[in-house]
Amino acid sequence: MDFSQLEDTDGIRMTWNIWPTSKVEATKCVIPFAAIYSPTKRLPNMPVVTYEPVPCKQCNAFLNPYARVDFFSKVWTCPLCMCRNHFPPQYQGVNENNLPAELYPSYCTIEYTLNRTVPPHPPVYLFVIDTCLPEDELAACKTAVMQAISTLPEYVHVGLITFGRHVHVYELGFTECSKVYVFRGAKEFTTQQIVEQLGARAAPQRPGPNGAPVGASPRRFLMPLGEAEFTLTTALEELQKDAYPVGSLQRPLRCTGTALQVATALLGSALPLGNCQARIIAIVGGACTEGQGMVVGSELTEQIRSHKDLAKDAAPYFRKSKKFYESIANELVQHGHTLDVFTCSLDQIGLAEMREAVLVTGGLVVQADTYNNPIFKESLKRFFYKDGEEGFLGITSNATLEVIPSKDIKVAGMLGSAARMEKKSPNIADTEIGVGGTTMWKICGMDTESSFAVAFEITGNSGSGAESQAQASMSGMAAPQLFLQFVTKYLHWTGELRCRVTTVTRRWVDGTNAAELISGFDQEAAAVFMARLASHKMEQEEEFDATRWLDRALIRLASRFGDFRKDDPASFNLRPELSFYPQFMFNLRRSQFVQVFGNSPDETACFRLLLFRVPVPDAMVMIQPQLTAYHFNGPPEPVLLDVQSILPERILLMDAYFYVVIFHGQTMAAWKKAGYHLQQEHAAFAQLLQAPQEEAKDILMRRFPLPRLVDCDYQGSQARFLLVKLNPSSTHASTMPTSAEVINTDDVSLATFTEHLKRLAVQS
Amino acid sequence: QDGLDLGQMPRPVGLAAASAQDAQPPCDPGNCSPDNMRLTVNGIPNSTALRARWALPVGVIVHPMADEARGRTVPLINLGGAGIVRCRKCRTYMNPFVQWTDSGRRFRCNVCGMLNEIPVEYFCNLDQNGRRRDLDDRPELSQGTVEYVAPAEYMVRPPQPPVYFFVIDVTYAAISSGALTSISKAIKSSLDELPGDERTMIGFITFDSSLHFYNLKAGLAQPQMLVVPEIDEPFVPLPDDLLVNLAESRSVVDALLDALPGNFANTNVTDSATGPALQAAFMVMAHLGGKMLVFQTAVPSLGIGKIKVGRENPNLYNTEKEATLRCPDDAFYKRFAAECSRVQIGVDLFTFGGSYMDLASLAAIPRYTSGEVYYYPGFVSMRDEIKLMKEVHHNLTRPTAWEAVMRVRCSRGLKIATFHGHFHNRSSDLLALPICDPDKSFAVQIAHEENIVPGPVAFVQCALLYTSSNGERRIRVHTLAVPVVNDLSDLYNGADAAALICITAKMAVEKVLLSKLEETRQMVQSKLVALFKEFRILNASSLRQSNKLIYPPNLRLLPLWTLGLLRCGALRGGAKDVSPDERMALIHWVMEAGIPELCRLLYPTLYPVHDPADPWGLPDAQNKVQLPLPAPASLPLLSEDGVYVVDNGRVLLLWVGRRVAREWVMEVFGNDLQVLDPSQLSVEPSRGTPLSDRLNRVLTCLRSGRPLYQQVYVVRQGSPQEVQMMPFLVEDRMPATSSYADFLLALHKAVMSK
Ligand SMILES: [Zn+2]
Ligand SMILES: [Zn+2]
Repeated sequence: MDFSQLEDTDGIRMTWNIWPTSKVEATKCVIPFAAIYSPTKRLPNMPVVTYEPVPCKQCNAFLNPYARVDFFSKVWTCPLCMCRNHFPPQYQGVNENNLPAELYPSYCTIEYTLNRTVPPHPPVYLFVIDTCLPEDELAACKTAVMQAISTLPEYVHVGLITFGRHVHVYELGFTECSKVYVFRGAKEFTTQQIVEQLGARAAPQRPGPNGAPVGASPRRFLMPLGEAEFTLTTALEELQKDAYPVGSLQRPLRCTGTALQVATALLGSALPLGNCQARIIAIVGGACTEGQGMVVGSELTEQIRSHKDLAKDAAPYFRKSKKFYESIANELVQHGHTLDVFTCSLDQIGLAEMREAVLVTGGLVVQADTYNNPIFKESLKRFFYKDGEEGFLGITSNATLEVIPSKDIKVAGMLGSAARMEKKSPNIADTEIGVGGTTMWKICGMDTESSFAVAFEITGNSGSGAESQAQASMSGMAAPQLFLQFVTKYLHWTGELRCRVTTVTRRWVDGTNAAELISGFDQEAAAVFMARLASHKMEQEEEFDATRWLDRALIRLASRFGDFRKDDPASFNLRPELSFYPQFMFNLRRSQFVQVFGNSPDETACFRLLLFRVPVPDAMVMIQPQLTAYHFNGPPEPVLLDVQSILPERILLMDAYFYVVIFHGQTMAAWKKAGYHLQQEHAAFAQLLQAPQEEAKDILMRRFPLPRLVDCDYQGSQARFLLVKLNPSSTHASTMPTSAEVINTDDVSLATFTEHLKRLAVQS
Repeated sequence: QDGLDLGQMPRPVGLAAASAQDAQPPCDPGNCSPDNMRLTVNGIPNSTALRARWALPVGVIVHPMADEARGRTVPLINLGGAGIVRCRKCRTYMNPFVQWTDSGRRFRCNVCGMLNEIPVEYFCNLDQNGRRRDLDDRPELSQGTVEYVAPAEYMVRPPQPPVYFFVIDVTYAAISSGALTSISKAIKSSLDELPGDERTMIGFITFDSSLHFYNLKAGLAQPQMLVVPEIDEPFVPLPDDLLVNLAESRSVVDALLDALPGNFANTNVTDSATGPALQAAFMVMAHLGGKMLVFQTAVPSLGIGKIKVGRENPNLYNTEKEATLRCPDDAFYKRFAAECSRVQIGVDLFTFGGSYMDLASLAAIPRYTSGEVYYYPGFVSMRDEIKLMKEVHHNLTRPTAWEAVMRVRCSRGLKIATFHGHFHNRSSDLLALPICDPDKSFAVQIAHEENIVPGPVAFVQCALLYTSSNGERRIRVHTLAVPVVNDLSDLYNGADAAALICITAKMAVEKVLLSKLEETRQMVQSKLVALFKEFRILNASSLRQSNKLIYPPNLRLLPLWTLGLLRCGALRGGAKDVSPDERMALIHWVMEAGIPELCRLLYPTLYPVHDPADPWGLPDAQNKVQLPLPAPASLPLLSEDGVYVVDNGRVLLLWVGRRVAREWVMEVFGNDLQVLDPSQLSVEPSRGTPLSDRLNRVLTCLRSGRPLYQQVYVVRQGSPQEVQMMPFLVEDRMPATSSYADFLLALHKAVMSK
């Protein structure tokens, strides 16, 4: 099965594409039954129709190509619940030769433009800018923001909040002079207090002193850019570094949390509910040291928490801060608003604590070391690209995603940038995987890449499999099929209300035949799903041992689906459908998602946020980077992610998603240093040098946020970015190094890992 | 009439007016001017027994910066490293009255009698009369008023720059009345003349239901307004730049003052967070101290110190709780005032409210911080802007002493018993005056510490330690000598009626803050009776048969001024007679007023200006404008064809008699009164006619140098407005007070009774 082709038509990948009918067999499959779905992926062949979809009166699923249609009696049978439905009046003319688009077999994914009662509110961008910065950093920040704003259309609404020790909310509608509302960073506010103090909500009318009614009109903090441009750019130009003095042994007092709370309250009070895309764009240059959300004290002698501290529960502010951001997350979700975070700091800013607020609101996160880094500048620019521009993100908002399964399937949960919604349904599984307890999630914001992993539970018993088979044959179906329908209602970037319906079907089998089941196994989707699930569990479950958990799952999977003789490791063999999975797991175990100790909690948070957003192929690159070799002997070729791929006359290009490494082998580096590429007679070398640069540029162009580009040479200090990802087939511990390059690691090599797997899998 | 010659009732009118308030000549040429320190009695009773027979206070009216008010220069002494010479024991400053001994190596302190060595640097030989030979080179040896440049030991911190911090109400009331526009104009027009050269600092807070701070950092194109809606725990939103150097930030300050009215033009906020705004201003300026000028239009209704509903309760008059109406309703006000005093902040209050705004509470802050209270009831910018502009200008540009303390010492056997005025009493004899200026005067009562005061001369010395506007620490010292007397008649002979009414007035308004109006009036009256009774006893032998009221010669005007005090707005009537806020404003005014201001308030001067033949309004030989001779303040005594300017120091009324000459009217008003709208009658500016010119010169002359700008209101005889003039016509009967004649009769009756 070509899974990526399925992905291209419907935006969906499934861990298993053939499902066992019985719960018992399903359990033996080890890897959960799950779909990774991109609800707004650009599908070139998808029709967009301008009428409302036709719902099934019983299960609310929409009419789709899999419905059995009786044209004579104008009745369709819902494939998900088998309920018979009459066509609505406007479908009276339907017949075999006059089908509505949603009945075309190739239109399993279709989008409807829904009627709306209120005109859309233009998008709202509320900039929340840190001012506790050195002058040059602040200048770079201002330039980047002003540049980004200059690309915005006049009708979008903008707002500005800056923060240092206190929070400054700019009243952009006030033109007489620069006017800000100040909230004390250290104070704990309720949303109600903030809203009242801002006067952002219109007060009820009351008689004024002269008898005429007065009602405080809401102050204008969020304004159409066309009206506010002068005030906004003046404010940005005049923006000063936070004025409070900072001791040489101190961090500045920075109330990031209070600023975000004020921003959240402002958006919540000033905007109509559910009718506009509204995003808080937080640009943060350092740790929150003041007020709610504080992650570290202001004394530099106090270190900001590390993974070690978190593991030992020795991070005094962590829980409180996290709880605070969870409350912000709740409020943002309530209003359907999104928090995006751009961090520009060598140190951590507290993203690990904020993570939930970004995750459940579908926010984007960009991490850079300085405001001068193109990762920040270009990503901010890209953020506002318009439809038609290359690199346009296609940001949509105010979405709900509902999943309707057919019989014997329950919805277990979701792993993605979405929030649980209250939704009573018989289709909710007993066991929760990820965010469960519902069949519907709220997606405050997403882009065309955003992908959501939905896990299912198969509840049929062995008898019911036969039953459904019998039912299917009774109803005249050719083969027993399962159905899943994904319904995404969202606010399109054009302002239209859209509803995308994707209906997929897969084959039921009784599940006793392992070979049959495994032929539907999508090892990439499975690896990505397991990566999300492992990350989720690491965040949620204390003492969770991800490595052990992944290993055990792998062993059980191998033992269930591998071909071997009991207790004979040498006989072990994996089918092609499963053959790469151990390697994926090997790399996942070593990846930044599982091995957190090499990174800061903020970095981990950032990595995981992105893992929870991207579709399967991108996530695969995160888990197992792609290594390409450039050499004189032919076109570039993919090579093994192994230390042995390092050769003197090769340039390696590694795409690890978060960063891209160009590595010049020993000879290449020497020639480059000698400047051969500048000499005409060595044009071929110059070309060879250039080729990976071009490819890297391409990768940078299409990815958001921009990855970091590492350009390094053999034995250069930056080479560690490459080495850490390579299979240590040759280490300092190897008795006989097989490569010129030796990796200083105690990690086992892939070969050793595989040997262990074989041994454990065949154990009886 | 029984014992009273109505034709001979003493009045400060006609030719007598000029000298009515004059002080007695100093008893010693080394005394400071009475303008600086003026005794209520030029004689100290030598014993407590004698003192007990004198019904009125023995004390001094202290006016530490009177020289500035009169344009006089005080000799400045800079002793450099040698240090200021003072008595080792009682810390009295060197003065003309010390006695030199041991060939000039030692002096005996005139205040405590201590024999002091003098520093070598200060030594000088004595002449054959025992006087220092350098007498003419050292002003402190011969003059009663000198000023020292204080060395470092007189500083607890470097002298601070002058600080002007404005706290302005911008609620709907302030906008609709035009007050904010006028305030902005007034401040802006004064900026060029603020004292303090290049060091002067300035800052602003405006407030309604929120607080608005202004970043005035030099170089900003426009001020940045920082709104702090948090009024329960106000905080300062910026560490710097809210209080800035005026010279450096001048353009931003100008921009702010230009923009302020527009910034709030569309406001509909009626609530006023006065207390929080004061707290915020305090936080901004506490590290420097200085002047806080508060402009309040709405009733303080939010946050700490807000005025409670039903605060103005007329039913409390004549009950035990009456005085609570004149005391702060909330402990915040006194506490805040004490805090301000501690950090050298003086608070001036400008109030504009159209209705009750509880000055009793608000005015407590200026009371303890040596600040002023300005009262513009129902401010309307059309009418009142000029007054506000002039008064703000006067306040801001007058000579000002900063972070001051004042101490008054008196010689052996005596002590300073009580201080009256606006200050915070830091220790028993030390007054904290965050701000002092030429408009401030004080009164002290001198009491006997011992039964007998050693004679023949006693001394009083007042020292004001302050920071000048140009950043020098200075000490101004006033010293006077006064004879110790052993005869009651000496006290009557030495009595100073104007000084006595001044101290009595201050004591009365102080009492009225703590007791009923009626009680206070009785106290004032009973002292007058006692004074006259004792005098009658003193003269009993020579007057045995006489049934006439006899006046101590120096105290002939005291009954009239006392009557004026009883009927002035501070003490008159009850709830219905004077609005509570006006009463508080007057109480404040009386407390800080000097002798001339008080006498003018208690018995307004009526200048007849109808007779073109008199030389009024024309320059005299010294080119000074001549004023007409004052007329009695009594309506029946005014001429129906006359015109009078009534001057009580707070307003000017132009009373126009029913039968005034048409020519006069035409010349001054430009038309017949009958065709003019009574509310539009105006004598200013001059119409260029001789009479109009002269009248305007009189008005200008009266106003010059006064702290309050007196607007002119035209009152036509028989018009409804005439009622408002009644309180000024002290001799006439009013609902709450008796006429002068009745008052004298009652006094006489009381004196005669056993
Ligand atoms: Zn159905
Ligand atoms: Zn002494």
